[in-house]
Amino acid sequence: MKKYSVQIAFTIVCLAWLGVTVAIPSDQTPAAKQAHPIALVGGTVHTVSGNDIQDATLLFDKGRIAAIGKHIVLPENVELIDVKGKHIYPGLISANTSLGLVEVAAVRSTRDYAEVGDINPNVRAEASFNPDSELLPVTRANGIALALSVPQGGIISGTSALMMLDGWTWEDMTFKTPVALHLNWPGMFIRRTDLSEKEVKKRVKNRDEKLAQIRNTFARARAYQQAKNAESQEGVPYHDTDLRWEAMLPVLSREIPVFVHANGIHEIQAAVDWALTENVLIAIVGGYDAWRVSALLKAHNIPVVVTGTHRTPRRRWENYDGPFALPGKLHEAGVLFCIATGGGGFGSAHERNLPYHSAMAAAYGLPEKEALKAVTLYPAQILGVADRLGSLEKGKDATLIVTDGDPLEIMTHVEMSFIQGRKIDLSSRHTQLYEKYKTKYERMGLSGN
Amino acid sequence: MLKMLKMLKMLSMRFCELFLFVSASALFAQTQTRPVEGLRQNTPRVHALLNARIVQSAGRVIEKGTVVLRDGVIQAVGANISVPPDAREWDYNGLTVYPGLIDASSSIGVPKKTKDAQSEASKSKETQAQSTYWNELVRPENEVWTVFSPTKEALKNHRKLGFTAALVTPVAGIFRGAGSAVSLGDTENSQRLLKRDLAQHLAFARQSGSTPSYPTSFMGAIAVIRQTFLDADWYGKAHSAFRQNQAQSRPEENISLAKLNEARQRNSVFLFAVKNDQDALAALNLADEFGLQLWLQGSGYEYRILDKLKQARIPVILPVNFPKTPDVHTPEGALSTSLTELSHWEVAPANPRFLAEAGVQFALSPTGLKKLDEFPGAVRKAMKTGGLSRGGALKALTETPAQMFGLGKQLGSIDVGKLAHLVVTKGELFAADTKILDVWIDGRRYEIEKKPAVDLRGKWRLSLNLQKQDATKLELELSGSEKKLSGKVIRDTLEVKLQKVQLNLRRLRFMFDGKKIGMPGVVRLSARVQNKELSGQGQYPDGAWFSWNAVWFAADSSKLKKAKADSPKKEVVSIPVGSPPGAFANIKQPEQPAAVLVTGATIWTSGPQGILENSDLLIKRGKIVEIGSGLKAPSGAVVIDANGKHVTPGLIDAHSHSGLSRGVNEVGQAVTAEVRIGDARNSHDIAFYRELAGGLTVANSLHGSANPIGGQNQVIKLRWGAGAEDLIIKDAIPGIKFALGENVKQSNWGDKFTSRYPQTRMGVEQIIRDRFKATQDYERTWRNYRSLKRKNGVIPPRIDLELETLLEVLHGKRLVHSHSYRQDEILMLCRIAEDFGFTIGTFQHVLEGYKVAEVLRKHGAGASTFSDWWAYKFEVIDAIPYNGALMHDAGVLVSFNSDSNELARRMNLEAAKAVKYGGVGEAEALKFVTMNPAKQLRIDHRVGSLEAGKDADFVIWSGSPLSTYSKCEQTWIDGKKYFSLPADRELRERIEAERARLIQKVLAQDNETKK
Repeated sequence: MKKYSVQIAFTIVCLAWLGVTVAIPSDQTPAAKQAHPIALVGGTVHTVSGNDIQDATLLFDKGRIAAIGKHIVLPENVELIDVKGKHIYPGLISANTSLGLVEVAAVRSTRDYAEVGDINPNVRAEASFNPDSELLPVTRANGIALALSVPQGGIISGTSALMMLDGWTWEDMTFKTPVALHLNWPGMFIRRTDLSEKEVKKRVKNRDEKLAQIRNTFARARAYQQAKNAESQEGVPYHDTDLRWEAMLPVLSREIPVFVHANGIHEIQAAVDWALTENVLIAIVGGYDAWRVSALLKAHNIPVVVTGTHRTPRRRWENYDGPFALPGKLHEAGVLFCIATGGGGFGSAHERNLPYHSAMAAAYGLPEKEALKAVTLYPAQILGVADRLGSLEKGKDATLIVTDGDPLEIMTHVEMSFIQGRKIDLSSRHTQLYEKYKTKYERMGLSGN
Repeated sequence: MLKMLKMLKMLSMRFCELFLFVSASALFAQTQTRPVEGLRQNTPRVHALLNARIVQSAGRVIEKGTVVLRDGVIQAVGANISVPPDAREWDYNGLTVYPGLIDASSSIGVPKKTKDAQSEASKSKETQAQSTYWNELVRPENEVWTVFSPTKEALKNHRKLGFTAALVTPVAGIFRGAGSAVSLGDTENSQRLLKRDLAQHLAFARQSGSTPSYPTSFMGAIAVIRQTFLDADWYGKAHSAFRQNQAQSRPEENISLAKLNEARQRNSVFLFAVKNDQDALAALNLADEFGLQLWLQGSGYEYRILDKLKQARIPVILPVNFPKTPDVHTPEGALSTSLTELSHWEVAPANPRFLAEAGVQFALSPTGLKKLDEFPGAVRKAMKTGGLSRGGALKALTETPAQMFGLGKQLGSIDVGKLAHLVVTKGELFAADTKILDVWIDGRRYEIEKKPAVDLRGKWRLSLNLQKQDATKLELELSGSEKKLSGKVIRDTLEVKLQKVQLNLRRLRFMFDGKKIGMPGVVRLSARVQNKELSGQGQYPDGAWFSWNAVWFAADSSKLKKAKADSPKKEVVSIPVGSPPGAFANIKQPEQPAAVLVTGATIWTSGPQGILENSDLLIKRGKIVEIGSGLKAPSGAVVIDANGKHVTPGLIDAHSHSGLSRGVNEVGQAVTAEVRIGDARNSHDIAFYRELAGGLTVANSLHGSANPIGGQNQVIKLRWGAGAEDLIIKDAIPGIKFALGENVKQSNWGDKFTSRYPQTRMGVEQIIRDRFKATQDYERTWRNYRSLKRKNGVIPPRIDLELETLLEVLHGKRLVHSHSYRQDEILMLCRIAEDFGFTIGTFQHVLEGYKVAEVLRKHGAGASTFSDWWAYKFEVIDAIPYNGALMHDAGVLVSFNSDSNELARRMNLEAAKAVKYGGVGEAEALKFVTMNPAKQLRIDHRVGSLEAGKDADFVIWSGSPLSTYSKCEQTWIDGKKYFSLPADRELRERIEAERARLIQKVLAQDNETKK
């Protein structure tokens, strides 16, 4: 807050300490398990992985898609839902959020996304995911079915979890955990032009200390892994548990990737170099400069979670549409990417705008079909759940939405949503307040002006 | 005979003049009031500097001449001057004498503690609290002369560079006080003063720190300056009225205002220290507003505003702290260097030349350099790289500052009657290897560098008269620098290096290890130097003394090396074209075609015509003439085939903070109605270009939401490339920002912020109410005063810019745009306004407006809201995206705003959210970002819809403006094309090419300096 003086510019002001808890449960009741087969009849099925099928029927049972086609045999106890003229898409996946970990970003007591300290590989997002957050119904009303809930802060922030946006408890809602270990790559470049020698040295030292911390953390985790593995051998004593290194074992064994949060070219390059040395799987989250190193990323099959297109260029001289055009450039270069949002505490209230980030990329060079994949199939692939999510195929989860148009268009409405075959309540605090005050003005004879 | 007489007469007259001059000088020079302690010191101060090359001023050179100084004054100068018999002679053969240099802006001798405004202010708070201006950054009464106390070291450091005089400037605060011109000799202070109270120094300083006080912003600093000038004026009037009539309440005594009023009365110079070209324009505006005689202490960016400086005839004190070489040595790192920086790096050294060419008066000063001794190198850079002429540089350090300071009769050139301020150099002043040997100040000599008595370098025949041998024939070679000699002794083919060579006055000492040339040990010698001969004695390794001598016979080999050839002539840089500076500059301002016809488009008029398919839009001279189908293109019209495209009015953002310098909020006080956002306008902000590329043409530029009563707004068009003044929509009704709720009660500012009033919504209501009551009282006071038949001798009321602004609100001449969230506060402000008889212009954000839509409707306030923001702080927990639709349906005039440089680029898509949430019709929804904000800002007579007679502000979209897949293709303002995709592509290519060129130049230059 030291440099506070100037930038209270906008209306949002953070860092509040209010002794108030606002975790009042949302009014929407979680959906019941799918009890019988359901067939959506007559709509256009946008499979994402294959061709669109018009006037089709999509049948799902026990939470899984049973059949898609024009002529399919329906079981006897099927519930038929007429979706003529409507469109069916997979539920959208938001790959970089703070959902469930924050309610009101400016109110400290509602923030649970950043643990103290630099190295927190052991904290797990799902364990503090608030199923009753008011933000969840608002988000899913725009077609987002799952969100990666990501811890923040420090150098290693913790592990993320892919959460279904409906359920009674976080355990019900957890689709997959851990998805990735999150690492914030330190700023690499020190611009010497405006700095004194002394200041440069200070910053170099600071940066190098952080880099050493990353290396040391992984070295210690490996030592722990080695010692634990050796326990079965004769004469090797038992080693006491270290939760931090325990949490890193799946990273070291390449079961889960490290999601490296990095935007600048220096940071992305450094992260790739590091991953190759360390022999771990990584994805880049952020990726502002990723198009400048697309060959490197492609060569090593490193995917990019683009954290939104609604960003301004970082450098004054750069093209006005740089962030809009980034996904198109990655697509052209053959780099696997998905489109997410900026995430973070303040971003969680805006998660519902995920599809429009993707549409912006389409307006500026990304083919429209790719824009749809960038919020469905591609995040599923990057998060390692494409066998169950991301497209409409037989055997995959019946996690899908029914709309009156293209979900990437703002004016489109999501009319139905199913998560694993469960029909989701699309109302929210927002629709409730809307109805309440509509009533007020109807009574006053003021509506319809 | 007659002729002879005439000549004699003339001669005698000359002598008379000379005599008179001398006697005047002799009679009065040494008077001092302080009693002499001990013996009097009366060393004559009569000097003749002989055989020197004399540069009297730029272009006036005497190749060999004499300068006579008497009692600190130049008595004579010329080629054939007879040396007065009482003069001490100085042989300056081979040396050049220049006028003493003037440092036009220095903080030499200003005590450290006065450099720190805070500590000084806190010290003075108690002692002077009652008699100085209330704001601690306003200290016009501070006189730097009264605290001037230079150390000997500091004086010496200045003289080392040839400075003999300086304008000493106060360095802290906004009104910093008065500067004085001093000479830089080692005399008593009383002898140093050249001119006291030379100028009033100002800067746009701000308060900083963790709990800052007023002003914290650039615009706040300007508001302070305005009010202070008015207060000083009032102070003068009040006291003169009181002098006439003492039967009234005594006006306050205030030394700050008294001093400032006095400075204004005698039309003192106001010297503004500025940080960039935009600050300089702000200073120019203030000078205009208050009729100030303005000088600038410049920034190095003056080349960007040459025309204005020239036109306003503003003298500038230029810094030479040119930018460091940009760090572009890796392709990745170079990304962080902007084109603006690269370009400034290239042209900055030419800034002085640009001013010289434009005929702007300027002085050069070392101010801003990290170390004072970087100055000669920097001046050299201005000449070598920048192309400033040698004469131009000299003038800027002598004649120009002397004239500016009103010291033209005393300083600035070597002419009879001027002060004996001289610089003696070996070599051309400012040349790389030139040495300054002496500096003369007020006729006293300060030796800078000891001139070696003799130059011994060369080859000498050396003979040692050793008893045991015949005189040994050797050769001695002396080399190195004049002062630091080295050398060797050569015997046939053998040679040995000299050790411990010392030249002290005229005695030379050295030794050498004789073993290398056949002697038994170390030989030590000393000698007296006489012209081209050395003669002395030495001691042989065996202890025997001997005599020796040496005779010069040839120059040493090192001297034969020619000075390095001058580096090849650098190309001459010119002022970068285009505006604003840097990337995406408009090379020239867009033209306004006589007529434009857009054909075949889907036109969203946002007016009574609704949405028209396949229609044409006709524009003449920047105004819309007709919209319809099958319109004929007038001859010469620019015709745009927009078949398949959509055309909308230019988008309007009713809440913007783009393009503001150093502070969007003035957080120093809770009520800052006197602050003007327009004062902080930064028309260079790239945000404007990016917003244009998203179809935005108009922005309501607002103060932030830190205060219940914030600053004044400005409604602007995004005329990219135009200056700040040319962005303003001049017939828009002015406005002011108010704010309610968490921000103004500092809920989220941190633990330190718990004492400013108000801290509750209750207090917010009261402070606003109180301010309006104060405004009414203020109006009454003025009305009473104005109704007086005889005002003579009556102390007039003070003009209060804060209340003047609020008075406009009360009179309906200024719109209130109030940041607000909760329904209670929205209702509260409506009621205050109603109590005071005015209408709120807009509620901004107004996220719970949907709960009190009937209040807004009845009151007549517009609602300018976010489409879908919520949950970022507690007071927006009930915000819903249906807000716009609900209010609109209930009959409130609704717009969507951005409050963000990012969101402002896609306001069309914000409008689409009104369709999504609440089902507003598409044409109506677009009006949320066109016609409705235009109405809210009372500019709907010129913008907001496409209707005949309105400004031709329009956007061409690739598809429906409400579709997320659409793209803005062209943006027009006033019938001029400010953005288009092809033009943008061209700019990108230019930027790439220009960056590549400049980076190569940096790298090439780096290589050169390394060689």
